[in-house]
Amino acid sequence: MALTLPLGEASDQDKWDNGGLERKRQLLIEIVLRSRLTALMVDGDTTCWVLEQELLRSYGVQTLGVDNGRDAIDLIASDAAFNLIIIEKILPVLNGLEVTRQICEIGMRCKMLAVTAYSGESERQAFLATSVDVFIEKPLDLEHLVPILRELDRQ
Amino acid sequence: MERNPIRRQLAIMRQSLFDQGHVDEQFVQLEELQDDANPNFVEEVVTLYYRDSARIILNIEQALERKPFDFGKLDAYMHQFKGSSSSIGAKKVKAESTLFRECCKSGNGEGCMRSFQQLKKEYATLRKKFGAYFQLARQAGPVETASRPK
Repeated sequence: MALTLPLGEASDQDKWDNGGLERKRQLLIEIVLRSRLTALMVDGDTTCWVLEQELLRSYGVQTLGVDNGRDAIDLIASDAAFNLIIIEKILPVLNGLEVTRQICEIGMRCKMLAVTAYSGESERQAFLATSVDVFIEKPLDLEHLVPILRELDRQ
Repeated sequence: MERNPIRRQLAIMRQSLFDQGHVDEQFVQLEELQDDANPNFVEEVVTLYYRDSARIILNIEQALERKPFDFGKLDAYMHQFKGSSSSIGAKKVKAESTLFRECCKSGNGEGCMRSFQQLKKEYATLRKKFGAYFQLARQAGPVETASRPK
């Protein structure tokens, strides 16, 4: 399955479409993305997945989610392109560390965030050693996310 | 000051969730994601949490019945549970999850069992409080927001 979502300007219609996207901007940290960003979430926990997806969608980011490491690798290997990958450590089939390594081996270049229930400094170091860009203890928060979205939007 | 008595009661109930330490600022994040398109988002996510986490609780219970304890497996289960609990802002539940994981790391089986019992209490207490809160929220109805131009 090939899935490449084109980058482009988020239209005014898109900004209104999510029934209250503009209202969210009043409450959440205000940013306006010029580009249509895409994100892949890799998390076996549905609650976390739903929340992260909703948070990203509230900023107009198109999201796709998988609940295990193998599906994430298969997706990347089939030339699916994303601006951002959010990955948990403990996953069914393949753990997050191994998924991150394989994504790097495939040659996928994008921002990678490890968003995981914190286990200690060794977990942080293990993830950072796999070329994850940022390590975030769950839950994914705006203080981390907004600067990252701004950075991606500038690229 | 909220004039509607149900809304006033709802606000008091909500505040007590924070004051009693049951939820943290992440719960506010959930509320901020709720809007006209997702008017029941918070309740839906909390319901999802309790549905999915029940399976993890059961897994941990079963793992605690097997001796010797597989601390690695217990820690992995609690890692996932902690992640989803923190994502809905379940503060006390998250704190107990952290304690449990510390017991796993130090191989403290008794500590794991005590911590797990406390965790289940906090989990059940919060579930009850959420149940009452959302029931009242449904009675109160949605908060009116300005309509957006099409």
